[in-house]
Formats: sequence, C-alpha cells, structure tokens
Amino acid sequence: MEDIMFSLNSVWLVLGALLVILMQGGFILLEAGSTRMKNAGHIAGKTVFTFGLASIVFWAVGYGFIFGDNSNFLIGLSDFFYSGDQAEGMAYSTAAFFMFQLAFAGISLTIAFGGFAERAKLSAYLVFAILFSVVVYPVVAHWIWGGGWLAEHGKQDFAGSTVVHLTGAMAAFAATLLLKPRIGKFNKNGTSNNIFGHNQVYTALGVIVLWVGWFGFNGGSTFVVDDGFFGFVALNTNLAAGAGAVAALIISWMVLGKSDIPTILNGALAGLVAITASCAFVETWAAVLIGFVAGILVFYSVKFFDRLKVDDPIYALSVHGAAGVWGTLSTGLFATPELATVGKPGLFYGGGFSQLGVQAMGVSVSALYAFVVSFVLLYAMKKVMKGLRVSEEEEIIGLDVSEHGNYGYPEAFIANEEKNRIAN
Amino acid sequence: MPYSQIKKWRDNKWNDHQDSSHALNDFHDELMMKVFDAALERHISEFGPVPCRYTWFVMGSAGRFEQAIISDQDHGLIYEERNEKTNRYFITFGKELANGLNEVGYPYCDGNVMSSNPIWSKSIIEWEEQLSKWLTEESFESIRFLLIFYDARVLIGEEAYCKKLKQIVHDYIKKNPRFLERLLENTQHVKKAVGFFHQFLTEPHGAHAGSIELKQSGFFPYVNNVRLLAMKESLEATSTLARLKALNNMSKYKQNLSWCAKEFEKLLHYRLQYHKKNTENYDDIHYLNIKELSKDEKKEMKHILLNGQKLQEYTQSVIKGTIET
Repeated sequence: MEDIMFSLNSVWLVLGALLVILMQGGFILLEAGSTRMKNAGHIAGKTVFTFGLASIVFWAVGYGFIFGDNSNFLIGLSDFFYSGDQAEGMAYSTAAFFMFQLAFAGISLTIAFGGFAERAKLSAYLVFAILFSVVVYPVVAHWIWGGGWLAEHGKQDFAGSTVVHLTGAMAAFAATLLLKPRIGKFNKNGTSNNIFGHNQVYTALGVIVLWVGWFGFNGGSTFVVDDGFFGFVALNTNLAAGAGAVAALIISWMVLGKSDIPTILNGALAGLVAITASCAFVETWAAVLIGFVAGILVFYSVKFFDRLKVDDPIYALSVHGAAGVWGTLSTGLFATPELATVGKPGLFYGGGFSQLGVQAMGVSVSALYAFVVSFVLLYAMKKVMKGLRVSEEEEIIGLDVSEHGNYGYPEAFIANEEKNRIAN
Repeated sequence: MPYSQIKKWRDNKWNDHQDSSHALNDFHDELMMKVFDAALERHISEFGPVPCRYTWFVMGSAGRFEQAIISDQDHGLIYEERNEKTNRYFITFGKELANGLNEVGYPYCDGNVMSSNPIWSKSIIEWEEQLSKWLTEESFESIRFLLIFYDARVLIGEEAYCKKLKQIVHDYIKKNPRFLERLLENTQHVKKAVGFFHQFLTEPHGAHAGSIELKQSGFFPYVNNVRLLAMKESLEATSTLARLKALNNMSKYKQNLSWCAKEFEKLLHYRLQYHKKNTENYDDIHYLNIKELSKDEKKEMKHILLNGQKLQEYTQSVIKGTIET
C-alpha cells in the first residue's frame, strides 16, 4: 500500500510539474498578446530560453539554497547539482518534487520579466535570469517553504502568492523603475497613452492556459494525493478565478461605463494569484470573496501604477503584486481551525490578529527583500552593462529584429520593407 | 478676391462673431459664400461660364447651422443638365471649392463629403436615382449618406432642387414607416459619458485624457434623435433648434420635448465658451475637459448628457410605435 501511495504521489507531482511548466505557454500568449507585433517573436523566444537557463541554475544551486541542510538565515547549503537521489522518509519521489519546485522557480522568473517587456536588452534577460534564480527567489522560498524563519512563525503561503508571485512582481517593479517607460507611453502633460496589445485572443488564451495550469500549481502543492484533498484545493482555485473575472467585469463597467476585456482577463488572473496562498486553508465562500476582492483590487491597482507613471505593459505589478499581497493577507482573515495545518486560524475564525500579523510581516519582509535586492542587482547591471535598455532606434523597429534579426510575423513586416525599398 | 485675402478678412473679423452660436454661424455662412464667389470667379476665368442652373448646399454641422469655431467642410452640388461636359465642369469646380474652403480654414472632410466627390456632385436626375438607391439599398453606407444628405441646407442657387430631393425621402418614409426603424437602429450607438456612480466617464488615455468626447456623447444623441423625428414629420428645417421648434408646435410632442431646446442651446453655449480659449486644432473641438468646469457647470453638463439619453429613449418609443403620436 505504501508503495502504491508513493507512486501515486509521484505521478501527481510530475503531473503538477507538467501543468506548471505549461503555464510558461500561457505566459507567452499573455505577454505576446498584450504587446506589439514587432516584439512577439522575441517575447516567445526569451521565455523559452530563460526557463532553460533557470532550470540549470535551479539544479546547480537554487534547489540546494531553498531546501538544503546546514542552513543559515538566508539559505540552505547542501544538495547542489542535485543528482536525483531519493531523500529518506519522503512520501514521493524526490526527483518529482525537484521538478515541481523547478517549475515554480521558472514561473517566478517569467513574472519578473513582465516588467522588462518591449524595451530590455536580451543580455539583460540573460544576466538577470541567473542572478534572480541564485540570489532573489531561493531566499524567499527558503524562508517560507524551506524551513526558514518565516516557516517557523507559521507563515501561510500554500502555493506561493508571496513566494512565487509577489517575489516575481517586486523584481518586475524594480525593473520597470530602472528601465523607465516605453517610448510613447506618457505625454508631456502627464497623461498616459494606451499602447494596445496586438492580439486580445492570444491574451485571453494565455489566461485560460494559466487558469488550467493553476490546478497543477495549487492542486499539486498538496504534494500527496491522500484523501483527495487536492480536489478541494482545485475547487477553491476555480471559484476564486471565476469571482475575480466577474468582479473585474462589474467594476470596469461601473467605473468606465464599459466591460473592459483586459480588465476582465486581469481579474481572473488576480483571483488565481490571490487564492494561491489560501486555497488549502479557507472555505469555499471565502474563496469566492477572496477572488472577488482581487478582481476589484487589480482594477484600481492598474490605475494607481498608471498614475505613478510606472509603465507595466502586462500588468505584472497589479496581477501578481497587489493580488499576491491581498492573497497572502487573506489567510490571516479566513483560515479555518480545521484547515490551518500550518499556522493559526484567521481573524474571522477566532484566531485573533496573530496569524494576520504573521502574514503581514511575512509579506512585507519578503516584498522588501525581493525589491531591494532586485533593484541593487539591476542597478549594478545597468552600470556594468552600460544600460539595460535597447537604443531608441531598436525599440522603435522592435526587438524581434534588433535582438534576434528575425520577425515574429515576417509577412507583416517584410512586405513593408520591400515597399519602402521600392519607394526609395 | 484671392483666398488669402478672404482668410485675412476672416482673421480680422473673427473675434467679433463669437458671442453666440447664431452669430458665429451667420459669420460662417458669410465666409463660405465669399469663398464660393471667389472659387466661381476663378473657375469661370479658366473653364468658361456656368453651363446651367445649379445649387450649392452644405451639410453636417454647417447644414444644421451649428458649426463650432473650427469645423470641417461638408458640401455638395446639384445641377440641372445631365451630360458628360457639365459633370466635368462641376467636378472640377467642386475641387476648386474644397481647396478654397481648406485655405480659409475649413479642413478637408475625412469622409470625403465634398463637392469634389462625384457622390456629392450630380445632376438633379442622377441625384434622384441615387437617393432612391440609398433608400432601398440595405447597406450601412447608404443609411449614413442618406442621414448626411438630410441635413443639407442651400447656401447658393436653386432652393427647389434640394426641396424636391427631400420630398423623395419624405414620400418614401410615408409609404414605408418601418424604414425609420432601420434609421433608428443605425444611430443608437452612443458613447456613454456618465457612469453608474453618476461620474463622468472621461478618456482614460491619450492626448484628451480627462476629457469627455462632447461630439459623440453630447451632441450626437440630440442631433440624431431630433433628425429622426424631423424625418418622421417631414420637416423642412435643418437646424436642430429649428426642428425642435417645429416639433414643439405639434401638440403630440409638446409635452415631451419642451425641455429639449434649452438643453441643446446650453450644449452649444458650452462648446463655444470653452473652445474660445482652448482650441488648437480641429480634433480638440470634439472634446471638453471637465476639469475646466465649475462645480455647478459639471452638474449642469451631467444633466444635459443624461437628458440626451432620455431623448433617445423617447425617440425610440416614438419610432417603434410604442407611444401613440
């Protein structure tokens, strides 16, 4: 029987890893659809190569930093260049667990790169992929999931609203500040322009791929299949995503007078990000409420960053940052005594403010760490690499050509080039 | 008189004619007629005398006698004789007219509604054929053209031609009252400017961020719905205010529309007052930055916009026959 459970758990973890890796496809569609044609190939391609790079870094040091023994305040210090060994007493294949964790590290990095979109040099992606995967992500993950000091406080973050989403979003925030807005995003009089994405269908497909992938992300985070608890986690996940989409539609209709599609898509994603921390700790009605609030929050967050003149092309700061914070805090409000296997029940379940306090501390310290370290690293890169950003000319012709010498949509551009040549 | 001289005359006199929309539009008429005379003079000197009787009319906001300070050109020609030579004569004259108007400050029409376009420059017989086609053809473009033409107002020449053409429209509508429903369905899309919380729905992005689009959200509901009622009642008037006056003289409308003219006058007033100080180009004229309004003005503007919706609902029920008239 134990053997069967071991196998089933391992299958479940690998399935989870597959679904989470498939989310990279969701991000490709989401990010490419939300940006312009001239950068589409670049966005798709860089996502694949940075995930490859992150995989190797995770194998070499990331995994050991997060889960290794002999840990100090920041990181663990064993299991580097992980050999695939089975750890003693684990109820599932350690290699499967490794794969699952690797997929998460990859997602956090891709979120961070949302803040780079349409203007960063390819070399900046390359260098930061390594630095983020070595220095930023493993520390937060170690603190919360690897038995670090926040784990000891009973910080609740079931599948990573903080660890994966907020960490990525804070790096994206540092990047947008250092990269500055895209050409043409803001006017001299302080108003902003809408730089429309080139394919709303891609963006929506991206959201659906992410939505489905999220069942691996959250459901897989049970690690084991005992009692079929992952089914409950999946249920909460889906409810929050649905509520987020509905809330976003309602708020955009009430405030803008029209049901804005990018807002609806952001709402679904914000619901997913928010429920990620709390999906295993709260009842279904709370999942609906958490998603609903996230859908409204993301709408105002987008407006807020726009007003601050922070150019966030794919709304990473709002979807993964603001909703990540809310999701992390939400367990401090709604975690039930029965479900709170980590930490204590929330404020509305007789737990008082203690869990909410732990959540607030955890989310602020993690956000601060991710932001400050990312900022310092990117700032240093900016100095050493003589800028993170492509030249004005390159930005205007598009990164497909400037960084890769090829178009994502060759027919759409080469025909024009020919015409210009003939005209000249 | 060369166009440059007309332009100079316009620039000198410009500020004396901005006290009211009526005064401004009188001046517009005078100016457009001056351009016409100059264009005709030039054309005759090059291509010889006018071969037959004709009429020159304006459409759009000029046709409705409610042009803003800056306004693009919309105009057409009807002439008596149908033959190749007159066609050519009037098309080249139309081009001269469009160029002249452009030079004195009326930008070319994006939709090409100008006498230089064969669609808007035809002999009376061809016009009759074209109108019949517009009335019967099931296309969005035909409906759009028909609605544009319906605001035609003669500036120069034979009034009778234009009257005759509009009579065709009136006769058709009398025989086919359901046609009005099609017109209705093609004019009901309005850009909302007041939201659920009674807040202004301003442009969130771009050069006009913080403004409402006065043309689409403010003027269109009044202009379009009053035009539909005018068509239903075969009115001759082309200005929105004159149409409203005529409608209000009919007992069936009096009760429901008596408030309307006042709201529309306010709308004209706001546009004029606001744009006196803020207009840099033709695009600006369509927008109103609500930050420039006082608290009371904001309240009044919301009222005007919401009443536009009310008028729209009323017109719908009249045209669809759910209200007896």
